[in-house]
Amino acid sequence: MATNAPIPGGSSEIPPITPSPPIIPETPSEISASSNSLQPPPSSSDTDFIYIPSYSRWFSWTGINECETRSLPEFFNSRSSSKSPRVYLYLRNSIIKQYRDEHPNKISFTDVRRTLVGDVVTIRRVFDFLDSWGLINYSSSASARPLRWDDKEAVASEAPSTVKESKAKRICSACKQICSVACFASEKHELTLCARCYVRGNYRIGINASEFKRVELSEESKTGWSEKETLLLLEAVMHYGDDWKKVAPHVTGRTEKECVSQFVKLPFGEQFAKDSDSEDGLETFDQIKGSVDPESEGRVKDGSSSPDNKRMKLTPLADASNPIMAQAAFLSALAGTKVAEAAARAAVTALSDVDYEAGKNTGGDPNRQEINCNDSERAVAEAKSLIEKEEKEVEGAIREIVEVEMMKIRDRIVHFEKLDLEIERSRKQLEDMKNLLFTDQLNIFFHTRRSRKAEDRAESS
Amino acid sequence: MKGSGSTGWKGPVKFRMPTAENLVPIRLDIQYEGQRYKDAFTWNPSDPDNEIVIFARRTVKDLKLPQAFITQISQSIQSQLADFRAYEGQDMYTGEKIIPIKLDLRVNQTLIKDQFLWDLNNFESDPEEFARTLCKDLGVEDPEVGPAVAFAIREQLYEIAVQSVSSARESRLSKKSRRGSDYGSASKASGLSMDLVKLFSFKSSVVRKRKDLDFYEPMVDLLTNEEVDALEAREERHAR
Repeated sequence: MATNAPIPGGSSEIPPITPSPPIIPETPSEISASSNSLQPPPSSSDTDFIYIPSYSRWFSWTGINECETRSLPEFFNSRSSSKSPRVYLYLRNSIIKQYRDEHPNKISFTDVRRTLVGDVVTIRRVFDFLDSWGLINYSSSASARPLRWDDKEAVASEAPSTVKESKAKRICSACKQICSVACFASEKHELTLCARCYVRGNYRIGINASEFKRVELSEESKTGWSEKETLLLLEAVMHYGDDWKKVAPHVTGRTEKECVSQFVKLPFGEQFAKDSDSEDGLETFDQIKGSVDPESEGRVKDGSSSPDNKRMKLTPLADASNPIMAQAAFLSALAGTKVAEAAARAAVTALSDVDYEAGKNTGGDPNRQEINCNDSERAVAEAKSLIEKEEKEVEGAIREIVEVEMMKIRDRIVHFEKLDLEIERSRKQLEDMKNLLFTDQLNIFFHTRRSRKAEDRAESS
Repeated sequence: MKGSGSTGWKGPVKFRMPTAENLVPIRLDIQYEGQRYKDAFTWNPSDPDNEIVIFARRTVKDLKLPQAFITQISQSIQSQLADFRAYEGQDMYTGEKIIPIKLDLRVNQTLIKDQFLWDLNNFESDPEEFARTLCKDLGVEDPEVGPAVAFAIREQLYEIAVQSVSSARESRLSKKSRRGSDYGSASKASGLSMDLVKLFSFKSSVVRKRKDLDFYEPMVDLLTNEEVDALEAREERHAR
């Protein structure tokens, strides 16, 4: 560790396993501030700063967060007397301290388990928990993986799959991951960032966000689809329909994703979408025959195929749980975007007109009167409801604070009761011992008396 | 809760580790293809058995041992756990036993010698807590000492518990009267145990005799590398 910052007063109550001064490179607040906001070149700064991911910001040396109680309930359900929160704190803090001493080397479970007092399976669970939350063995190059839950299998499968992907892809200079979707490149600083890093701001301080140019990493950046490939694609889709796993090998040299994206991009491609309607099936077959050359003819067909375009876009909303929305989506899809827009607008104005008219024809209808309020009145009502909401929130917060205080007091009471019990127990033991002593003393007394009497008798005789 | 401090006959208790946490001490010493793996740790017998393989795999991965160790480690742990579980159904008489526990271990460069009395009847005892406090109080810097101390204590407690199970069985078989079994437990035991009554008899005071003071004091030694090597060589010679 290069730096050796002093521990501030608040976090000084660490139950140390060794009395040697623990080297804490940074206070917890500093750590969370520097997490994910800076990405200096890893060579020099890794030894100075310890990074933890932003979703682990809750960590504090002296406190236990709700997610910890949720993930490791064995320490908090008081089912066993030696698995208390205090023990958990001891295990957790010693593991993290040990990791930070070893940083930037990673620590293994066996290193940790050898130095901690406790049964190994429990230690392993705490270790895994800390590992998955990035509080130990966290390297910034893995920051693009939001690994919140114990998802080790997913991680293990992720790693090899990214390696297997095609080699000629751009790599993000921040998170060292392959950029697939969209890139942000800055010529000035020669940086390439994937979308996630760009959004998170994982670049050096000196760079402005506006200096990045968005680069679409679709098939245009690569070879581009030749006629042959498109033909193969269409054939494959015709045969296998939606089964992209089978389509991909048919189209030699393209992964599933590329096939799908290219297919979607084809102007007439949507007609191959699986329709339950057999008529449409025949239609699509005709249109395949008629348009083997995608580049030129496809564009000509653009206008006529726009209604078919919409059928593809039907799918997102079609399975909406709300049947009315599904109907509306279906109809709007059939009608086309412009028409749907106009219709929606008309519907909205019609509704507001209805309201307005209803307001005009109020007469003595109380329901209508309620509906009839001006814009200003409506704003006032909204403001009032907002205020009420805020008040409720504040009340809720105060309630929570009071509850927490109560819990603290309750805990203290429990602790004192325990101490009391202990004292009671030892007192009882002492009393029993006293009684024993007393009986023994009585015995002695009688014995000595008897022996003295015997002596006297012996002397006298 | 049984009343403590009475010298009366204590009923048999179902076998378990006489500590707050029913943890089993596990010792591993596996040799394979010239590589030797020695380890000692505590295991919770109520953990599911699949944890054994997970632990074995983890350890082999961390220590970069050959894959064959996984099965060997799991088998060893399994058999020790099975032994423990075999005792679990049986009774043990603990009697009024305060036993001296001896520590004489070397962990890396730290040598610890200690002897202290342990109440076998205190089922709330916590060797882990004791080990933690011991290391903290003695200023032991090596963090591996704590678990080794806790393990040593646990091992001795386990042995004595096993002995008390066998002594209980013997006394039952010998058809002695009930009171006989009580004396049996007090006198038949390893000879190291002391009766509570005798210890606090009117003859002696609670304060320890001077000659015992040295025995009961903890001693911590830090060895240099050469001494460590010398000791290790001697141990290996003894082992063979």
